[in-house]
Amino acid sequence: MKRIQILLMSTAYFLLVYAGIAVAMEPNEILQQVDARMQPRSYEMYRKLINVEPDGTSKEFVLYTVKKGQDKMVALFISPASEKGRATLRLGENMWLYIPNVGKPLRITSLQSVVGGVFNNSDILRLDFSAEYDALGMNEEGEQYVLELKAKNGSVAYDHLKMTVDAKSLLPLDIECYAASGMLIKTLHYSKIKDFGNGMVRPSMLETDSPLYKGYKSVMLFAKMQERELADEVFTLNYMSKVDELRQ
Amino acid sequence: MTLLQRLLRGWSLDVWMATLMILLTCSGVSADDEFSFDVEEFEKKALQAGGYVEAKWEHINRNEQGAISWLGLDDDPGNTLDRLGALLQLNGSYTREKLSLYWLLQGSETWQDDEWLDTVDAFEAYVTFKSSANGSGSLGKKSYKWGKGYAWNPVGFINRSKDPNNPDEALEGYITAETEFIKSFSGNLQNLALTTVLLPVTEDVNDDFGQANNMNLAARLYLLYLDTDLDFILYTGNARSTRFGFDVSRNITPSFEVHGEYAFFPNFEKVYLGEEGNSYREKDSEHSLLLGIRHLTEFNLTSILEYYHNGTGYSDDELEEFYSLVSQGAIQYAQSGQDTLLQKAQKLGQQGYTKPYLGRDYLYARFSLKEPWDILYFTPALTTIYNLNDQSYSITPEILYTGLTNWEIRLRFSLLQGRSSTEYGEKLNQNKVELRVRYFF
Repeated sequence: MKRIQILLMSTAYFLLVYAGIAVAMEPNEILQQVDARMQPRSYEMYRKLINVEPDGTSKEFVLYTVKKGQDKMVALFISPASEKGRATLRLGENMWLYIPNVGKPLRITSLQSVVGGVFNNSDILRLDFSAEYDALGMNEEGEQYVLELKAKNGSVAYDHLKMTVDAKSLLPLDIECYAASGMLIKTLHYSKIKDFGNGMVRPSMLETDSPLYKGYKSVMLFAKMQERELADEVFTLNYMSKVDELRQ
Repeated sequence: MTLLQRLLRGWSLDVWMATLMILLTCSGVSADDEFSFDVEEFEKKALQAGGYVEAKWEHINRNEQGAISWLGLDDDPGNTLDRLGALLQLNGSYTREKLSLYWLLQGSETWQDDEWLDTVDAFEAYVTFKSSANGSGSLGKKSYKWGKGYAWNPVGFINRSKDPNNPDEALEGYITAETEFIKSFSGNLQNLALTTVLLPVTEDVNDDFGQANNMNLAARLYLLYLDTDLDFILYTGNARSTRFGFDVSRNITPSFEVHGEYAFFPNFEKVYLGEEGNSYREKDSEHSLLLGIRHLTEFNLTSILEYYHNGTGYSDDELEEFYSLVSQGAIQYAQSGQDTLLQKAQKLGQQGYTKPYLGRDYLYARFSLKEPWDILYFTPALTTIYNLNDQSYSITPEILYTGLTNWEIRLRFSLLQGRSSTEYGEKLNQNKVELRVRYFF
């Protein structure tokens, strides 16, 4: 009898605790958890971007990226040869592009695309979701949370997002990106969960498609993501021509 | 003659063969659809080298009656010109601990008027020493691109002049010693960077910069303050007169950028046309100004508009006097075979009267549409430069395709329009078709 009592009490306790966590997790907290699971606060990584055209031909770009805190990021093109040495810098809402022959950084906008195809600059220089968006609402759909995110200001590339998050891992599965008019601009699909070391288990592939580019697809593959401490001065205009010196 | 010059001399056939082979054999289409990523392939190497090879064809309709044609003193320049060119650019770096060596070399071979012309230049070759992320120094030949303007940079006191129709091209540098200090802050002032450059001029070093046997100093203080880029720039030395200025750039909205430059020349010396075609020099204080915007629409049309007031340029009347001198010289030459006046005009031209963008007020506009009709990597564009003082102009439509990996193909047409005694009405060309193919490696 006592065993049954203990079993019932334990079950009730775990149910209450589980329910309590679910209730206690506010949408913005979930968003912060998603950020924490997707990348360390300060890190370096390599990415390959692949633009696939409807006829199957593709073009690839390889970028070396470093990020610090919530608002500093720089990406250096290391392949193909025609793009090598180009660097993009983001400091909060400011973005610049450095082209070696031009020899000076030019201001660019988040909706432009330095690589062409479906990915734009904000996809390539994406800061933490919680730095750019507020979670206004959340629905639970089975094993998933569906977050309604609203841009914190007008400089963010997409006015609002609909983010589907795996409830167990708190990793994003799909993100629908909308303009202020309500038009769907693109959908991002995360997949291929991989262990990057130091407890960083996250998707290693991001695919995107867009109703604006019917038949086209862009893919981003992530590799060698690792924590790294960096000086603030790395994220300055004068350093953009020297980013390659950070690679080890 | 340098070793490189010797090696590249007599390139005519070699460069053309190499260009042709690369263009014919290299396939740029990447068909990797497996989405694999072997990051080890991209490990950093101490020695890095790259560059591009270019083939260019130009068909030019000459302006035979233009002042610039007459200054060439060519008896029969012909009304058309076909030009073929091959160009090789090599760039790279070698890094060992805190020291890095950078280079940028260009060699070109051009066929026109039944003869080959070749050039070989070391655009850049310098060593940098990096003590930390905050500080670095460099020594050697380096190119500077100061200023925020796309077409012109009045504050580019140690820049080489760029071609507003090709502002992205590499330019030859000057031999300098440079130090750079960078500091980041939290607060309204986010970044600060101070660059100081020593630029010597002797009869053998940087001799085209200005008066020889002078040491010159240029400095730039950059601030990122309240999300605005600000540069304060100073040049002092005896090779050129002292000058200072500032530039600014800021995004007013995410898709709307404004920029500007202001330069002050307190004691600027200029050559003027005097009596009977003789020249004289006069010093005065001058101001130059550039105001520009850059706007991106939702359908990916980028518009760049710039107004440029060139305080160091010539007024409409001054230029008309010069073109009139050339015209008189042409009549004298045609009637008597004497070229006294044309020689005087030529000298004046070398002293400033034929340099590019020598007028006072210009408008620049460039409209480029990225990937219209869902054609990836395809960019049509239209560029126009309008001389506000004499109403002459150039207009340049072009199409650019970069869809084949490491290839860039550009087709461009340039039309120059203006009545006689105007800047574009007196240029060497009336119009030009240009096809340029580049392969990067």
